[in-house]
Amino acid sequence: MDAAGIVLSAAVAGLFAGAPMSLLHRRAGYATATVASGLLFAVAIVALVAGPVQGLGWSGPLGDPESLRLDGLSAFFALAASTVWIATSFYSLAYDDRPSPLLAICYSLTLGSIALLVSSSSLVLFLVGWETMTLASYGMILQAHGRSGRVFSASFVFLAFGEASTLLVFVAVAGLRVMTGTFAEVPAAAGSLATVVFVAGLIGFGLKMGVAPFHMSEWLPIAHSSAPSNASAVLSSTLTLAGAYGLFRLLSLLPSPPLWWGAVMLGIGAVSVLLGALFATVSEHTKGLPAYSTIENNGLILVALGIALIARTDGLPGLYVFALFAAFYQALAHAVAKTALFLSAGYLEHAAGTFDLNSLGGRTRGSDRTAYLGTLAATLSLAATPPLAGFVSEWMVLEALFQSYRFHPEWVQFEGLLSGAAVALAAGLILVAMVKFMGFSLLWRPRATAADPRAPGLGAPIAAAGAAIVGVGVAAPWILKFLTPTVAAFAGAPVVAPVGGLLSVPDGWSIVSGSPFGIISPPVIPIALAAGALVAVGYYALGRRRGARRVAPWMAGSVPGLERETYTSFGYSTGIRIMMGSLLQTREVRAQVGSVTRAELATPVSYNVDLEVLDVFKVFYDGLIRFGEGVASVLKTGVMPGRLGRYLAYILIVTLVVVIYVASAA
Amino acid sequence: MTPSAEETAGATVLPTRDAERALAYVAADGAFALYNDYRAKASVLERDPRIPPTEEPALTWRGGAAAGAHRPLGPTPVVEGYGVFTFPYGPVSMGVPEAGKFAVRTYGERVLSLEPLGGFKSRGIGTSVVGQPVEDAALRIERMAGNFSASHVAAFLAAADSALGREVPEVELWTRGLAQELQRVYNHLHVIARVAEAASQNVGLAQTHALAEEILRVQGAVFGHRWLFGALLPNGPARRLDAPDRSRTSRELDRLSDEFEALWELFLESRTFVDRIQATGSIDRAEAIRWGAVGPTLRACGVDWDDRLRVPAHPYTDLFVALPRETGGDALARVAVRAAEIRASFLLLEQILDRWPRSATKTVAPAAPVGPGRGIGRVEAPSGDLVYDVRVAEDRVAALGFRSPSQANWPLFAHGMQGAVFTDFHFAFESFGLVFAETDG
Repeated sequence: MDAAGIVLSAAVAGLFAGAPMSLLHRRAGYATATVASGLLFAVAIVALVAGPVQGLGWSGPLGDPESLRLDGLSAFFALAASTVWIATSFYSLAYDDRPSPLLAICYSLTLGSIALLVSSSSLVLFLVGWETMTLASYGMILQAHGRSGRVFSASFVFLAFGEASTLLVFVAVAGLRVMTGTFAEVPAAAGSLATVVFVAGLIGFGLKMGVAPFHMSEWLPIAHSSAPSNASAVLSSTLTLAGAYGLFRLLSLLPSPPLWWGAVMLGIGAVSVLLGALFATVSEHTKGLPAYSTIENNGLILVALGIALIARTDGLPGLYVFALFAAFYQALAHAVAKTALFLSAGYLEHAAGTFDLNSLGGRTRGSDRTAYLGTLAATLSLAATPPLAGFVSEWMVLEALFQSYRFHPEWVQFEGLLSGAAVALAAGLILVAMVKFMGFSLLWRPRATAADPRAPGLGAPIAAAGAAIVGVGVAAPWILKFLTPTVAAFAGAPVVAPVGGLLSVPDGWSIVSGSPFGIISPPVIPIALAAGALVAVGYYALGRRRGARRVAPWMAGSVPGLERETYTSFGYSTGIRIMMGSLLQTREVRAQVGSVTRAELATPVSYNVDLEVLDVFKVFYDGLIRFGEGVASVLKTGVMPGRLGRYLAYILIVTLVVVIYVASAA
Repeated sequence: MTPSAEETAGATVLPTRDAERALAYVAADGAFALYNDYRAKASVLERDPRIPPTEEPALTWRGGAAAGAHRPLGPTPVVEGYGVFTFPYGPVSMGVPEAGKFAVRTYGERVLSLEPLGGFKSRGIGTSVVGQPVEDAALRIERMAGNFSASHVAAFLAAADSALGREVPEVELWTRGLAQELQRVYNHLHVIARVAEAASQNVGLAQTHALAEEILRVQGAVFGHRWLFGALLPNGPARRLDAPDRSRTSRELDRLSDEFEALWELFLESRTFVDRIQATGSIDRAEAIRWGAVGPTLRACGVDWDDRLRVPAHPYTDLFVALPRETGGDALARVAVRAAEIRASFLLLEQILDRWPRSATKTVAPAAPVGPGRGIGRVEAPSGDLVYDVRVAEDRVAALGFRSPSQANWPLFAHGMQGAVFTDFHFAFESFGLVFAETDG
């Protein structure tokens, strides 16, 4: 074990150590987590630059050697996660003002277990980290403020989905064990079990990523319980990242995939992208909106991964590598942007005391420059605005989709076409969602009287995350080169980063898709923007300043400043609610307030009107729950209070069946 | 639902509302009330109004507002809900040609309730005529709204004649009829043009405008003023309309009538035009009666009421008046009623010019006064029943009350817009033919 290995071990141990430190003081816990995240960040960079890092090792309980290890693939996820954690842990120092250390303990345990599962060299250790992560994050969600019944049911949903996920991942791990004869992460040869492992893994990890149709597991606990904001950021940015890591790791271990694997992933991804964007657009919750956006972004990861798998099967190595880079870049871009957005939601909660975007209405406008700029970067990035991180990743995913015309047979081409349309539509919708979040929280004229906007210490981490977003976007070509070991580790072969140059743009400054298909240069965009801005500013400063005139906004002749005479965030997205009514099952609920008496003639009628949207999948799950409860109650009243004789007969029959089965198998 | 004890205490108990009877006008001093009885097809004057003025929904027009004061022009439901907000439109707006404001309650996109706000256009004409000689007052009254000048003056003069007990020369009444029918044609063309403009029917718009311009020229030729200002005063210019003039005008109108028929045919063939106004701003018959709709708005809901038939007056008692009716209650029905009324008015104009009174001296007795020195004048203005209530003392106007068709129809517009989307606004608004000027006075 070299120095880097020691640092890796110390980082994982340090993240877990945050839990006991929190008992001393919650700030001590968060400070420990910040430092340990820094260590993990450093060692991840070392692993990407200098090759795999081997940490602490021991002999596992099932006879296999277990160790902490960062190879190209896990180093990337460790890097992305630790970037997020540095910001969230530092933010938590100021954010978490609860008297109880429970949130801090669960927070540290979640971070530690994610670090453990990412850096484990054995699938058993991975499972341990996976289950600890589920339980610890369940603990975090339970710490939500608010109505206890709602919090409890939301966190129960999280736990139920989490345990279902663990069971399926367990099946996948067991399948790999059967295929390879070891729990070590070694690639399996082809086998009939591969399909079972793939399906179990896809659903198991998909549950954690919150992709459709399991997106309830993503938005419900975060939005319904209004989980603490630092927890939301960790859940949405890195818990889903852990799901993505699991999927990447699993696929890297499985043999060459049949065509339908990629096709299924592409399909699930496209549906998730569209649903996530749609529900984000109509969400009025400062945390529900980013949570839905997470579904969209994880869907994009699946789309890129699906394209990659199809390209690999179809023998398109260039597209295969490019789509892989797109998938990793999407994971990275989403992690940093979503962190900033959730931290911003926490800031808004502190500043205005509400999660309701509709009642927020720009109330915190102009209060804290750092929070403002960080949130601006995050929303613009998630809306895929150049030159930010989200733009680069979305461009790469779309470029990969554009090349689906190379696929064969035709039905995969057709799927690529439909998926491309869904992703493009989602990109438009998410723009509305992000403008809404930014506009009605920090940008536009307030609708209500301003609350005390100061929430000290919360702005800086948001701004830092915002700077990371800009950095990841502008420096994309170099970061792509830096990620070469990750893609190589996944592909199992050396790869070349898709960078190049064109015209007067220097070589290595541009991202090139295909060979060559499309080209873009993220570093040149801000240079061009700055040049344009310079001209405008210079013109204004030199010539026209004297002509400037400041007036109150024209309100078509009305007196401005009337509190309610501005658009609400709800109204802003109602167009989508009505246009997409068939998908959202939009319906208007109208109730008359009060009774009609003499007032029928003399005074106007009073109505209460609500426009409701419905998630068809939630309706399906609710139906499933009712069905389950019905079956349970039938069993309870019909079977359970039965006679002892029935039980004995049942036990006898089951024993006989097992004996016969075993005997015949032998 | 029956009112509870507290609700009825201290207030006059309302009579059961007759579903076929609508209040047309209540005098500001409570001296009388006018009702339209749609079953008996007659106008009813109640000397002792049982309904206290403040309890009636159609009474929002009662009492003028001070200039500049915002004033709701109809009872609007109070709508609350998550995300519901007020979207202000006006008083300076792109599509509405006058200063008037609309407070739209919405959750975005869809109109939950709409409250028209008047008072921006108030010039105080109603109060400024008090103390003026009747002829001077008429010069101000005709400026209530340029499109309806003939109707306003005719109603005002009828009320003044009744109050003064003046025997009116027959030819003067026929002059008023001629002017009103010409202006009805002009105004209906104007409304159709506005709807066509909203639906981007540019060819139809230009042709309708051209036709309306020709009507204005006929008005100018016959009355000496394109907008008929000053034309209806006693001894106005049309009184000297001789036979060659009449036959020339008649031929001209004949031509315009044919042109209109062809144009309207084209409108009905345009799917984009019909689709856009069909089922837009719908109101049903019961609502129309309950909220006191008048004119084409009322007739588009299947109620056959026209003051020219139901309130007998010269010259209409001597003429055949067609009464077009539609049952759709939507913008299309209102526009269709207007188109049919253009046809009916051309027919009336032909009759008026044909049967122009020979005698310049024959007079007609005015309607009986409703009180000492007080008379009512009712005419069917282009957009509906127009009521003037004039009191005179020593040949000067002592008090003036009026209820213009726009005042009556605002609540219907507000009602018809409920549940519509923003883009329906112009089609619905133009189809009602509402004017802020004659609302505010």
